[in-house]
Amino acid sequence: MSWSAFLWRNLSRNKVRSLLTGGAIALAIALVCFLATMPDGMNRILEQVATNTRVVVHNEAGLVYPLPYAYMQKVRAMPGVVAVTSWTWFGGVFKEEDGISFPNFAVEPDAVGETWPDYGIPKDQLEEFKHRRDGAIVGGGTLKKYGWKVGDQVTLKGTVFPVDLTFKIVGTIPNERAPHFWFQREYLEQAVKAAGGTFDFLGTIWVRVDDPSRLDPLARQIDETFHNSDAQTSSENEKSYFKNFFGALEGLVFLIMLVTALVAVCIVFIAANTASMTVRERMREIAILKAMGFSRRSVFGMLVAEATLLATLAGAVGAFTSLGLTRLVRYASGSWNPTMGPLASFIVSNTILVEGLFLAFFIGMVSGIVPSYGAARRNVVQTLREVF
Amino acid sequence: MIQLEDVSRVYRRGADEVRALDHVSLSIERGRFVALMGPSGSGKSTLLHLLAGLDRPTAGRVMVADRVLNEMSDDELASFRAQHVGFIFQFFNLIPVLSARENVELPLLLTKLSKTERRERASTALRVVGLAERAEHMPSEMSGGEQQRVAIARAIVSDPEIVVADEPTGDLDAKNAVEILALLRDLRREFGKTVVMVTHDSRGEQFVDEIHHLDKGLLDRTVPGGGAA
Amino acid sequence: MALPLRYSVGNLLARRTRTLLTLGVVAVVVLATTLLLSLVSSLRRTLVTTGGPSNLIVMRKGATNDGSSALPLEAYQALRFFEGVGKSPEGEPLVSPELVVQPFFVRRDGGRENVLVRGVEPAALAVHDSVKIVEGRMFEPSQGEVIVGTGVAGRYAGAAVGETLKFGRGTWKVVGRFKSGGDSFESEVWADVRELARDAKRPLPYSGFRVRAAPGTDLDAMIRRIDDEPRWAMEAQRETEYYAEQSKSADALYLIVIGLAVLSGIGAICGATNTLYASVQARTAEIGTLRALGFSRATILTAFLIESLLMAFAGFAVGGALAGILATGISRALGGVGFSAVTFTTNVIDLRVGASDLCWAAALSLVIGLIGGWFPALRAARLRPVEALRRA
Repeated sequence: MSWSAFLWRNLSRNKVRSLLTGGAIALAIALVCFLATMPDGMNRILEQVATNTRVVVHNEAGLVYPLPYAYMQKVRAMPGVVAVTSWTWFGGVFKEEDGISFPNFAVEPDAVGETWPDYGIPKDQLEEFKHRRDGAIVGGGTLKKYGWKVGDQVTLKGTVFPVDLTFKIVGTIPNERAPHFWFQREYLEQAVKAAGGTFDFLGTIWVRVDDPSRLDPLARQIDETFHNSDAQTSSENEKSYFKNFFGALEGLVFLIMLVTALVAVCIVFIAANTASMTVRERMREIAILKAMGFSRRSVFGMLVAEATLLATLAGAVGAFTSLGLTRLVRYASGSWNPTMGPLASFIVSNTILVEGLFLAFFIGMVSGIVPSYGAARRNVVQTLREVF
Repeated sequence: MIQLEDVSRVYRRGADEVRALDHVSLSIERGRFVALMGPSGSGKSTLLHLLAGLDRPTAGRVMVADRVLNEMSDDELASFRAQHVGFIFQFFNLIPVLSARENVELPLLLTKLSKTERRERASTALRVVGLAERAEHMPSEMSGGEQQRVAIARAIVSDPEIVVADEPTGDLDAKNAVEILALLRDLRREFGKTVVMVTHDSRGEQFVDEIHHLDKGLLDRTVPGGGAA
Repeated sequence: MALPLRYSVGNLLARRTRTLLTLGVVAVVVLATTLLLSLVSSLRRTLVTTGGPSNLIVMRKGATNDGSSALPLEAYQALRFFEGVGKSPEGEPLVSPELVVQPFFVRRDGGRENVLVRGVEPAALAVHDSVKIVEGRMFEPSQGEVIVGTGVAGRYAGAAVGETLKFGRGTWKVVGRFKSGGDSFESEVWADVRELARDAKRPLPYSGFRVRAAPGTDLDAMIRRIDDEPRWAMEAQRETEYYAEQSKSADALYLIVIGLAVLSGIGAICGATNTLYASVQARTAEIGTLRALGFSRATILTAFLIESLLMAFAGFAVGGALAGILATGISRALGGVGFSAVTFTTNVIDLRVGASDLCWAAALSLVIGLIGGWFPALRAARLRPVEALRRA
């Protein structure tokens, strides 16, 4: 027999109680892990894009306000600029019943490859995109959603623009979560002109710089250049852009964090309750152990270890259950969603699993401390007197 | 071996003062089997607790095995007990989720012995009390007498000089009671241990070397027992 | 013979720590569930109540919301003379041409959000008759003035009546504040449509139109007529339906809330069961005595169930009260909870715990108390008196 065997035996002493407590803790940890996916997803996206060397230029008034196309030339000429592309929201619908189910943009075909080299679009597809006026590059997610493949023809009906456009898919962004749909700006310009309109503006400008240290100076330079023009710009690096985008979800996220904290508090209560019940029932045994010569510290340690072991095991079960939970929700809610964007995918990362585990461990330990401390300190003789 | 000099133990219960022990002096020689007897509230259990290092006196000096106990801290007392004292109580001795052997091994967790050494010692102890074949059984599967025997095995497994028993036969029938008393006497005879027992059981008088009678916290008289012969 | 209530209450009080901890679990579960429920129902309330019963929203075919639609001036002019369009007392057609723009606004605490600014003409007040100006007055056209919804007024810098708002390419004077029965219009800013179009430099002047049908008009027939109009690709829908569909975005959230309630409810049940089992175990002798005295099994069962229900109810009371306080506090501190709408703009939700939210929470507590207490109560009831007394 050893310390660990003794510990384990104590846990299996009252199987129903251990199971109930473990079950409650497992559930709670599963919840915590699941709820954590949204803020975690946000952090991971922010970290990923933090290393990118891209600047976003938009109208200071808002994302929906246009910028004059003429700005492109000035920005292209600035120092440190590797690639520049315009990026204009077309807002086309594929199936009218679905509405706008993926984001579609008019872009500069010569520049997209270099602006987003990290997207990994195959070189030959990029070449084709440059040469075919009606070509389109579609992200893996949208391809999957509608069952399209490279070579298919697709028509998008305009909602904001008074034109409908037909494309041939020439390439893809090889990421099955990418919802993008890119096509040539000139194609849209021709169509608008044919319908009797003019198209001399753009939505946002994406710039890739050669060095990360140039991100902020370039952003400042751009804003200063257009400060006194009709359309003032607001430029920021990619990370800041996404941060602001997530800012819209702030209220929701706050509530989720609050609820998560509450659930964690619940776990403490449950674990502490069990620990206190267990300790109370074992008063006599504890007295005998102390009589035998087990120090206060070792008795305390044993009780806390028991609570911690149960909580950690339960936490492990809970953390893995959360994987199943998220799969369920993903299935029910679909992928791209204008309000939540990539966050709707509810992915439980390994980090979340580990954090969930640590939470369980920590809580088990903390919840066991108060009742165990009291029990360990209790005067042996007093207990013996009461019991015998 | 054991010396109590002018020892008192006073309890506060609200506003009242309870004098469990009142200036008691007592000495027990090494290798003796001694009984502490007296009516309820006489202070015999308190006396036992003091000489076992479970409690500290409010006045006086307790010396056991050349150590002064009343100056030790709680941790030092715990350590002292682990090395020098074995305990047997009236009931609730054994941990219900552990087998007989595991119960006996328990005190050895406090030593630096290896797992195999612990197992061996425990098996030996069980053999001494005659329960070798019940080693793997749970306490719930054993009779009262067998449980007490396991308790005795546990009390001697770390080879302490002193064995302390608080009403060891209180919950047993006549046959088992006598068996336990005999076993306790053998501890003294064959292993040279000093055994101090608190008891109501008059049968005990036949087995012990001397009996200290207590009344109202005072040492009344000391008489030789049947075992002295 | 029934056991007095005092028996159950007394036992709960005797084991205060355990009772409090279990009560705490229920309270926290109720708190969390109620807060999320109130978020969803506040959101739903905002979206679902929006829309006049005889109003139609006309957008470009395929547009899912009036933020991403565009229609020309000629379409407006044609629509004014459509059959079925209601008329104001002065004889003007009740068609409100509107332009929806989503500029950046700066919150009072510094963050940046998209807000829906609706360019309107005075006809808008007649068509959207739920909108009532409660402070100040309606703006004068071409004066750089705006009116703000009551949700906007408290949340953004410069948005109170008398202050100056900075959005788009200029500054605008806030001359009035309106309420609209708690619907999503209260998260909007209304400006003069021509001024706004100039400021936003839109290629087509309008996003869409809101039409009030004349009393007695067959709305479905009218919708078909608008849809079939060959010259402009227009699509009409009942305003109430339009907003109701938008509230579907809250459905995923609803699923999550239900999931949370169920899971945390199960957890709370485990906690309650645990506590009660221990209670039964500790009181074995007592139960034996009661049975020996002649109290029936049903009485014992009921007594323990009552204990469980009392704990659950107390938890509900604490949790519910806390939820109410927290919800109002959070709402006030944050200037409403911002929920991003399908139009990429912010719906300002006034977080309030409603009666229905509390009802659901009460139901949850009831379930926790009943199921949590059932098995331990059963065990207590099944104890045979002799065994119980002997074990003691």
